[in-house]
Amino acid sequence: MFDRVEAFYRPGTVREALRLLQNGKNRARVVAGGTDLVVEADRSIRFLIDITHAGLSYIRRRGKACVIGATTTMATLENSPAIRALAGGILARAAATCGSVQIRNMATLGGNLANGSPAADTATPLLALDAEVVLADARGRRKIPLTAFYSGLRKTAPGKALLIEVVIPALPRGGRWSFQKLGRTESDISLVNAAAGLQLDSKGRAKWARIALGAVAPTPIRAVNAEKLLVGRKVDESTLAEVCDQVAREVQPITDVRASAEYRREMCRVLVRRALEECAAGTGCSL
Amino acid sequence: MKGRCLVSSRKDPEPPAKPKAGFSRRGFIRGVGLGSGAVGTGLLEREAVAAPAPANVVGPGPVPITLTINGKPVNVTVEPRVTLLDAMRNYLDLTGAKRVCDRGTCGACTVILAGKTVYSCSVLAIDAQGKNIETIEGLATGNNLHPVSAAFVNHDAQQCGYCTAGFVMAAKGFIDKHPNPTMEDVKHGLGGNLCRCGTYMGIRQAVVEAAKEMKGGKNG
Ligand SMILES: Cc1cc2nc3c(=O)[nH]c(=O)nc-3n(C[C@H](O)[C@H](O)[C@H](O)COP(=O)(O)OP(=O)(O)OC[C@H]3O[C@@H](n4cnc5c(N)ncnc54)[C@H](O)[C@@H]3O)c2cc1C
Ligand code: FES
Ligand code: FES
Repeated sequence: MFDRVEAFYRPGTVREALRLLQNGKNRARVVAGGTDLVVEADRSIRFLIDITHAGLSYIRRRGKACVIGATTTMATLENSPAIRALAGGILARAAATCGSVQIRNMATLGGNLANGSPAADTATPLLALDAEVVLADARGRRKIPLTAFYSGLRKTAPGKALLIEVVIPALPRGGRWSFQKLGRTESDISLVNAAAGLQLDSKGRAKWARIALGAVAPTPIRAVNAEKLLVGRKVDESTLAEVCDQVAREVQPITDVRASAEYRREMCRVLVRRALEECAAGTGCSL
Repeated sequence: MKGRCLVSSRKDPEPPAKPKAGFSRRGFIRGVGLGSGAVGTGLLEREAVAAPAPANVVGPGPVPITLTINGKPVNVTVEPRVTLLDAMRNYLDLTGAKRVCDRGTCGACTVILAGKTVYSCSVLAIDAQGKNIETIEGLATGNNLHPVSAAFVNHDAQQCGYCTAGFVMAAKGFIDKHPNPTMEDVKHGLGGNLCRCGTYMGIRQAVVEAAKEMKGGKNG
């Protein structure tokens, strides 16, 4: 798999990992679970820097935020009581769909995001959760919104930086959540995935809304205009229809081996509707 | 400072016999040791105060490692890029785990690493050190088949058999974590293994039966 790899480093700290990464120039690559790197089989890699011993596997509460270390595995996320309890468990549910058991035992949250795939299943719920990521490079650490982390197809901020942790800020009170995934088989990559968050006021109007989608644009996206359309409105049939139409206008799916752009666009409507219906049902509003 | 670079670790990497043109590995490795302290004042506070962990570098070139396979330590010398699967098959003559896709998709290479099922084609051998590696070779006790293997035989759960060792290990790992599975649980839990001959029905029945058998305390 790593035909040209010559040396393997296992730094015990983030600091050491960063130094190695800098000195390795373009020939060093960070490896966490390795499940994406194996498939990529990049022959320019000479040095692997395994960061799974650098103290980045943790799930913590920090003030009102929930903080997840970059090398936390999908298996840990899907089984963690804290993550299952957070926001209706949408992140745990997404993690539980990332490939097979064998993959989830190795695959990490940081790798899923840093790999930059528009279909990364954890990115979508994290966008709906307004997550931020902490990056570290030789100059120091910075925290940026997950939306700023993605700059284009398979382009993410790391470069020579390490993704340290994901921060999920305090959630709106009484918020309801949903994650939906459509794949060819249960453990296949998403054709489309969607996550939604909804907070209703006492009159059943949307007070706050998040709609995020994956695999339908160069990066995982939030359908901001659809969110705007929803806020302030009563969540009923006609609102949902309008919101889903807006979602279909906002996405830019492509045709590939898995599905046509047309089919993906249609499925965006279906998944967002399912997600919002699940949120609404959770708040006791009947549709 | 220069002397205390990563090269001073026990597995002192020697320059390779034939350095490739235009590129110096040594330079990289030496570079790593430079600048400690120079980088990142005020950066990564917590890590900076922690005692520097022993630099851990493996390679270039073959390195001696110890794997714990089915409870027994085994020594082998492999290049860092060698996967656990290739180390077992090509260096240790353990050919139970099969190399089929070599990219983490089919499950034929499944082993149990520290209690968790993994694709051995996607784990580097050096990364498997210090963890118990359970393979198909270690499953039987003497002449007695493990209940999972026995159930596969009873249910005709193989045809060409190429996927079988991986399926048996995935099934064992699954039952260890789900002692009372339904057919549906089994289907879901073994989703990481493919069988081109299409023996899925037999396999699922075998796994449900083996789980019952193992709860009976006969083996496990
Ligand atoms: C059979 C199969 C099925 C899959 N199914 C799914 C699926 O359903 N959904 C899904 O979303 N994904 C799926 N994946 C993709 C993959 O498993 C995930 O993206 C996984 O989370 C990647 O994590 P990793 O730790 O294995 O990453 P690695 O392979 O170790 O790394 C991936 C990339 O990120 C970089 N990187 C890793 N960690 C960091 C860090 N902390 N800082 C900076 N850079 C970093 C690496 O250098 C590399 O470029 C599947 C993969 C396979 C092989
Ligand atoms: S050979 Fe490892 S998963 Fe196919
Ligand atoms: S028995 Fe032939 S691949 Fe499964």
